[in-house]
Amino acid sequence: MSNYYDMPKLPTAESPKVAIFVDGQETFVPGDTNLLEALKAVGIETPSICYHPFLPVSGNCRQCLVEQEGPRGRSLIISCFTPVSPGMKVFTPKTSLRVKNARKATNEFMLVNHPLDCPICDKAGECSLQANYMESGHDSRLRENIGKHYHGSPDHAFIDSKGQTRGGKQVVLGPRVTLDEERCVQCDRCVRFMRFVAGDEQLQLASRGDSTYITTFPGQELDHEYDLCVTDVCPVGALTANNFRFQQRVWMLSRTPSVSMDDSLGANLWIDHNHGKIWRLMPRCNPEVNRSWISNTSRLAYLNFDKDRLEAAPIETLQSTVFAAKKVAIVAGGACTLEDLAAIKALQESLGAKAELFGGTSIPVVEPDGISKSGDPLANRAGFKAMQVPDANLQELLQKISDFDTLITIHSDLIGEDPTFEKLKQIPNRIVLSAFKDCTANAATLAFGVKHWTEVSGSMINSLQILQKLNAAPTAPNGDLKPAYQVLFALAGIEITEVSAAWKQVQDRIPTLKAYQRDSILSTGLKLEGVV
Amino acid sequence: MIEIIQSKHWIEWLINIAKFAFAFVPVLFILLLIPLERRGAGFIQDRQGPNRSYFRLPYFGKIRLFGWVHNASDGLKLFFKENYAPHGVNKLLFLLAPAIPFAVVLIAPAVIPWFAPMVFTFGEEVIRISGQNVNTDVGLLLLFAISALSAYGAVLAGWASKSKYSLLGGLRTTAMIISYEVCLGISIMGILLLAGSFRLDQIIAWQDAHVWGVVAQPVAFFCFLIAMIAETGRAPFDVAEGEPELVAGFHTEYGAMQFGLFYMGEYSHIGINSILVSILFFGGYSIPFVSTSTIQSNVGISLGVLAFVFVFAILAFLHLLYRYSRYLKKSSYANKSAILREYSLYKIVGWAAAALLLAAGVISIMYFKPAYTLIDGQAVYGIGVALGTAFIQILVLLAKAVFFCWVWIWIRWTLPRFRYDHVMNLGWKVILNVAIVNLVITAFIVKLIGD
Amino acid sequence: MVRQVKQKPMNWIEKLYIFEAFRGLYVTLKHALRGVFRYETLPTVPYPEQKPEINHAYRAKHRLMLRPDGSPRCVACQMCATACPAKCIYIEASTSADGRIEKSIQRFDIDHLVCVFCGLCVEACPVDAIRMDTRETSYVHRDRQSFITSMEELMDWDPKDYPEDDFQSQVAPGGKRNKEALDSWGLKVN
Repeated sequence: MSNYYDMPKLPTAESPKVAIFVDGQETFVPGDTNLLEALKAVGIETPSICYHPFLPVSGNCRQCLVEQEGPRGRSLIISCFTPVSPGMKVFTPKTSLRVKNARKATNEFMLVNHPLDCPICDKAGECSLQANYMESGHDSRLRENIGKHYHGSPDHAFIDSKGQTRGGKQVVLGPRVTLDEERCVQCDRCVRFMRFVAGDEQLQLASRGDSTYITTFPGQELDHEYDLCVTDVCPVGALTANNFRFQQRVWMLSRTPSVSMDDSLGANLWIDHNHGKIWRLMPRCNPEVNRSWISNTSRLAYLNFDKDRLEAAPIETLQSTVFAAKKVAIVAGGACTLEDLAAIKALQESLGAKAELFGGTSIPVVEPDGISKSGDPLANRAGFKAMQVPDANLQELLQKISDFDTLITIHSDLIGEDPTFEKLKQIPNRIVLSAFKDCTANAATLAFGVKHWTEVSGSMINSLQILQKLNAAPTAPNGDLKPAYQVLFALAGIEITEVSAAWKQVQDRIPTLKAYQRDSILSTGLKLEGVV
Repeated sequence: MIEIIQSKHWIEWLINIAKFAFAFVPVLFILLLIPLERRGAGFIQDRQGPNRSYFRLPYFGKIRLFGWVHNASDGLKLFFKENYAPHGVNKLLFLLAPAIPFAVVLIAPAVIPWFAPMVFTFGEEVIRISGQNVNTDVGLLLLFAISALSAYGAVLAGWASKSKYSLLGGLRTTAMIISYEVCLGISIMGILLLAGSFRLDQIIAWQDAHVWGVVAQPVAFFCFLIAMIAETGRAPFDVAEGEPELVAGFHTEYGAMQFGLFYMGEYSHIGINSILVSILFFGGYSIPFVSTSTIQSNVGISLGVLAFVFVFAILAFLHLLYRYSRYLKKSSYANKSAILREYSLYKIVGWAAAALLLAAGVISIMYFKPAYTLIDGQAVYGIGVALGTAFIQILVLLAKAVFFCWVWIWIRWTLPRFRYDHVMNLGWKVILNVAIVNLVITAFIVKLIGD
Repeated sequence: MVRQVKQKPMNWIEKLYIFEAFRGLYVTLKHALRGVFRYETLPTVPYPEQKPEINHAYRAKHRLMLRPDGSPRCVACQMCATACPAKCIYIEASTSADGRIEKSIQRFDIDHLVCVFCGLCVEACPVDAIRMDTRETSYVHRDRQSFITSMEELMDWDPKDYPEDDFQSQVAPGGKRNKEALDSWGLKVN
């Protein structure tokens, strides 16, 4: 398996339109991509197992067959590996029974060794194989054959209660990923991901023919920072994430599109929640930002989102402290959205000369990993700059401690990130607006619980100058919690309950955003020119 | 004062005062009527009816008294429930309203003759005691006047409740009472013409001498019965309560014993009306073909026959008990031993009562031979005979009344309720006209063959 | 389609109402007398003493079917919870201790106060793990919490209460066919 594959070329808005004949009808499709993407661009879905838009094409599943008319008559070709050429004549199952039968046969071929355990499979509901089976008419000749004979690794074979050879149901690949060898259809997406995207060939296809199985090198395990992405790319339920395994059925989850606020690339997320609890974070496809990938750090962060949460306090206590203060230091932290920053500015304006702004984080900036992390822990740094909130002057705060009698930190765990900030305890009034009972909150005189960024609607500008939207997932542990911007605006004397009103405040402070309504920002974000 | 006391013999005073107890007869009817209604309704609808509550006796275990305990418990519950009034009601009228229908049923029986006028010798004197508490010439009119007052209860309740439903219920009650009092009055005019008196004992005496009112005035009987049912405001004429449209009509806002008083008033009213129907059309306390003097001269035999009738009823009851016990023994009821244990009590009481009554009957026939003195050519007996006769006559009257109570219940659970306009049509356009025609014809006949 | 129902017009006797009323009175009197003189023939039964015979097909309280070794057959696929229109089934899954079985239930709660006894969970179950044939129709508790029936309660049933030809019930521990089922179930695990 040392073949080198080409990455598929995806259509863009600038792609040239060329005319091809689909089912005998002239259709204009993007001309610089493969046939599968081109057909998708005009609304014709082609089933596929091994094809992934952000992985090199291997073309081993043969599920995406279409018919093309060539010099030697009509022949079946795989659409994922066929570039679009002007004037080509393509036939889909709509007109070609041969394509329909071929796809069905391919599907059946894959189902030969695939167990029928969809009810207990975590992938059921978002499984490509399942979807293809349903699409091909779900009348496979093989469906009666309930137990499937196991061909994979002989080490994992066992005899089940009905006397059949089964095997490899729970193969531990690494600390976070479990493999079910029976379900694997050998599409090698995971292998390609590890090789081409993660850049660390930890997974391999072993053995040959229908005995092929996924494995790691002997004595090694799958422990890459991006290893959970293999569970996303797996089209069936073979690779499952231990953190989500058996937790929920996917059709019970509601999805909220949001943005990860732990890195300035702002990886796009699906927040999958049910019963007011986040069950998993999934990468949300954004070709410009994180494609389909997300790091384990961002993905597994949700495990702590509902732990150690601060309780909300009445806002009057906050008001009395802030307005009695002589000199206030306001510290904006990493997870501040543009709305939060606008509220901080509004508070500073209302306090006048008494207030001084600080911002940033003590976590060092590292090199970008080229997948879904820019390495900058201050997620909204571009937003800080656009809003003219200082983004790296925390050391100044340390030097000027004695000037202040009141400190307000917003989403900023100063002490937790750098213990030298313990000196801040010299400031008599320490107000913390935070979601968690972190070190700073524990050292505060008044800890005020606010909503976490998964629970608020807002916006941020990432390191690529893309304005991205956060949407609120209904997972706040307590109904009394409010977004930080709402609390801060209230302190500044502005009554704001809707995020649209907060967005207007943002627009007032960043004139270049005037042109954009919040609702008009796409889920993939808005590329800004010259904001910073 | 002394003259008044001395104007009557002490035994006359004693019996007259004892007659006041009759005021409570309609109230006592409630004890019978509620179980009769609820279990009767159950049986008519092929249900069991209320039979769950019980009290415990040492050996016999759970005693249910065929559901009577259940009804008593319900009543007890009503009695001990909290009295409350909705906000903003007229407190005085609201509290007063339920008392009116109930007070009326205590007054109304005053003119009802419970037995034929007693004439007996006591020592040297001849004592005469009338059958009713108030011996007046306007007997029936007084009764109607008093029982029509019970409408005030419903009207005031409807007014005081401060509720749309109650007010409509009260208004409907007014309309109903006005409509059907007219029918009621006109329909009995025939029998009054025949008897020539408003006195109820005169009417009974006329029926005793001639025929029962139901034979002489069949049309009037039906008109009277329908008007009576309508006047008590029960199904099929329950427009005042109007469950489908008015929640519960005038007593929507009432609960606990305030509601209970309305309820008791209604049942007592049925009792009075049943007594009235049996007096006006079924000869009251008289027994067909057996005159008062016949009973008096054969009082021992009469009491004996009465005892035998009771014995027969008890034996029939015992027969049912034994038959059901046999069925129970074969059944798979989880509590059949408990029920059989309970029934053994009834059997013991039943057999004892039958034996006692049989003995009493035999003794009465053999040894109760009254002596008499002739006064003005008529035989006058002693006080024993008079009281025995009165006892028989009261029982006869009550037996007829109980039958009519059953008719009330029977009709309620058979006929579907009328719509309000149908009720008014029936009252004004049918019954009133039929009653008037009946009156005219009766008047002609009375004029032709009378006197 | 409109269907016109022609009613027979009433004749004059029926229109008079009074005779029909008497006919009705006769009918109700018959029933009333039957209650008095033939009390035992009443179709209603005095409930707590005499219980109606309930068929196994009646949708009563749920039970969880058992494997020969006494573990629940349930594989925690949540099809029942998905099918449930009242959302009264709460399942927590975990990895099974038996290597041959992938998934098993950690927790299986049915809130019987919320349940509408529609039987869709039984229809949905792919492994015949949940049934509603216990014939238990009345169960009374003092508080709401007690109506949330746990996995242990749902698994607590006796094969003797079920028909002998009910194979799935009889393979459970204590059942007639448990022995043979256990023999075939206990195949070697590699």
